[in-house]
Amino acid sequence: MKLQSTDPFQAIGDSNRRLMLRLLSKESLTINSLAQHFDMTRPAVSKHVKILYTAGFITIQDMGRERHCTLNQKGFHELQSWIDYFDQFWQTRLKKLEDLLNKKTKK
Amino acid sequence: MKKEIRHVWFFPHPTEAIWEYLTDSELLSQWLMKNDFKPVVGHQFSFKSSPYPAIEFDGNVYCKVLEISAPKKISYSWKFGPGNGETIIDSLVVWTLTPKDGGTELLLVHSGFTDLRQIPAYDAMNAGWQTNINKIHGLIATKEKNETTIH
Repeated sequence: MKLQSTDPFQAIGDSNRRLMLRLLSKESLTINSLAQHFDMTRPAVSKHVKILYTAGFITIQDMGRERHCTLNQKGFHELQSWIDYFDQFWQTRLKKLEDLLNKKTKK
Repeated sequence: MKKEIRHVWFFPHPTEAIWEYLTDSELLSQWLMKNDFKPVVGHQFSFKSSPYPAIEFDGNVYCKVLEISAPKKISYSWKFGPGNGETIIDSLVVWTLTPKDGGTELLLVHSGFTDLRQIPAYDAMNAGWQTNINKIHGLIATKEKNETTIH
């Protein structure tokens, strides 16, 4: 069984997690050093990190006693599905508008 | 690199006819979605369609009319979420109508992926986007009768 995954849209729907991704886009960080940027408890930071992990935005590697977080491509690729959805959506709706207008002209 | 959706369509119809279909609530519902749209700047309205849970879309789009310049341009905000009151995507839809020989060119730009743009890595990692844009260009090219104005 794979770990239950989090929807990437839900993952980026939180400003703290977006800030975490921005910090991690500059460099890999341990959970402890990541926590220094936030005014929240260490367990709260871990919870956000876990959500980013299950949504595929980061990977976590144990190195000694520290846990290192690194950005991962998977979550970002899934975000693309939103753009794809609406791209297709507009395409079909505009076709419908075209059909409507053509029908009206023929009347 | 662009992170927006663009579609250009040519209609062999007068600009006023297209404008009507973009700004009349009843006509709009015939091709887009059920709505309570009014062509008034500041008017808040929503579109209702079917949910698509895979992308956290509960089927409701919350909008506000931002600009109206009849019969040339209309824009509104375009927000949606998973249905718990949260907005996941806060974007912008802009329609531009340009009279062309024998009809009207309609340009749709759906942009403002604010949250994504705040993440620098999104640029680097979103290599698939350019492929997507090229696909759209291909579709437009087959649709358009006039020279393309997009770049």
